[in-house]
Amino acid sequence: MDSFPVWLSLRVALSATALTLLTGVPTAWLLARKRFPGRNALEAVVVLPLVLPPTVLGYYLLVVIGYRGPIGRALAAIGLELAFTPAAAVLAACVGSIALVIKSAQAGFETVDGQLEQAARTLGRSEWGVFWSVTLPLAWRSVLAGTVLAFCRALGEFGITLMVAGNIPGRTQTLPLAIYDRVQANQMGEANALALVAVGIVVVLLFGLSRLARLRY
Amino acid sequence: MSGTVSVAITKRFPGFTLDVSWEAEQSVLGLFGPSGAGKTLTLQCLSGLLEPDAGRVVVDDRVLFDAEAGVDLPPQRRQIGYVFQGYALFPHLSVVDNIGFGLRDRPRAEARRRAAEVIARMGLEGLEDRRPHELSGGQRQRVALGRALAPDPALLLLDEPLSALDATLRQSLRDDLRRILAEWRTAAVLVTHDFTEAYRLGDRIVVYEAGRVIQSAPRAELLWQPASETVARIMGVPNILHGTVIKATPDRIQLRWRGQMLEAVNSPTRSYLPPPEAPLAFFIRPEYVRLIRKDRGAADPHHHMNLMHGVVVADEDFGTTWMLRIRLDEPGAPAQGDYDLEVEVPHLVYEILEIDRDRRWEFSIHRGSIHVLPA
Repeated sequence: MDSFPVWLSLRVALSATALTLLTGVPTAWLLARKRFPGRNALEAVVVLPLVLPPTVLGYYLLVVIGYRGPIGRALAAIGLELAFTPAAAVLAACVGSIALVIKSAQAGFETVDGQLEQAARTLGRSEWGVFWSVTLPLAWRSVLAGTVLAFCRALGEFGITLMVAGNIPGRTQTLPLAIYDRVQANQMGEANALALVAVGIVVVLLFGLSRLARLRY
Repeated sequence: MSGTVSVAITKRFPGFTLDVSWEAEQSVLGLFGPSGAGKTLTLQCLSGLLEPDAGRVVVDDRVLFDAEAGVDLPPQRRQIGYVFQGYALFPHLSVVDNIGFGLRDRPRAEARRRAAEVIARMGLEGLEDRRPHELSGGQRQRVALGRALAPDPALLLLDEPLSALDATLRQSLRDDLRRILAEWRTAAVLVTHDFTEAYRLGDRIVVYEAGRVIQSAPRAELLWQPASETVARIMGVPNILHGTVIKATPDRIQLRWRGQMLEAVNSPTRSYLPPPEAPLAFFIRPEYVRLIRKDRGAADPHHHMNLMHGVVVADEDFGTTWMLRIRLDEPGAPAQGDYDLEVEVPHLVYEILEIDRDRRWEFSIHRGSIHVLPA
């Protein structure tokens, strides 16, 4: 069995999850705690990746980061290329999974009693301190659940990845793409092995999540 | 002891305006009034959690908020301790971490020493590692107080501190709270809709109604001289009655009520002088009505002023006292539904006089116990 797609997928999913956390958690906090113009629009945009067909998402993403797109051209100007690279696969996995982190973390933040945050403020904590000492410790279960779901979703990302990163064996061919390829080539044994690896990773993660969620705080 | 507080704020909401101003000095101030009168909003404005539209908040010569000067210190820099309704203890932190929460800016050793000191003073030793959900109502109250007092605030705010407790605990914890406030000698503002609570805990009481202050007075003055019928009603004073002025002088007011001529003491400090025939509200404290013993001969009108006759139409046992509802022997509708006066007598008196058998009584009210309520 060619293990390259497995390692690539793990690396892509891990990077995508990290990127998702960095951008998704602050977005979730904004949506849960702040009232600002455009909040409703942002709330709607956030769920788009969950409802649009992945190929449509991939198409638009390609339009933006392709060599004729605005970001693609800007990157090309400094000698970088994004489309059809492993980085594009990370971006694809991110787009496909970020809604899960945002919605889950937002729900978690919303269940934190605002009065506890007020109490922390009267006790001298800055907004940053309030988040780390009160909001996040009380909502970490939801954030973690969203993170694990997002990781699993990133690991299984297919449509967007195919559109923006292609299916280049040994370069951008992730686990799901590899399985599809093997089936197309009628290499059922290979496909079977890869599929089992995917199932294994996800089962272990979900099992770990359920154990963690039973801990108190 | 620190803590002079001066508040003058306006905050507009759709359908409700908070417009209050009061001052307090070195004591516990009770903010008293019905739910929705703006008491909690005032605390939020004091603590910086809510920004008033206009006005000033000054604590110990520190201007915390001044709309005109553009001063609005954030809650973090106000040095005001806030005990929230329901306490808002951090459920994920132990007792010691809750109490030490506001001490993060101090060196670690000093913060630990201070937290231990507060735990000892609050009588919470041995509970340091418990979580809030493992504590009793009284212990939670003390953790909340300790957490707010640990950073040594210039002012302590308490929002309905006893409302989270069940009725049996309330009384003993009220006395607990009173002792703690006296011991720590921190100026405090306490919000309550329970007059007994305001009276037991506050040295001075500010009465709120619909976003406005309707009286601000030392507690004894409020108890004996409510500024108006509205204040008396919010306080839950029984026997608020309406009569007609016969004659008013700076120290006496004669009035007509239910066919009786009553004489009441006027308050020289208030110099309230309504003209004859003006309607007049007054109240009679139920515990100051004297039943006249039948075994001591006829009542002496010179000794017993404001003499009346009536019949007990209902009575209720309150444990240590009986509440009698008396209807006067006068034609016309009684003043309060099917009775005219509520009269409170101790159990012993009820038994000696055999009131359960003997329902017809003569009684008198000293002029000093009839309290006139200015319109």
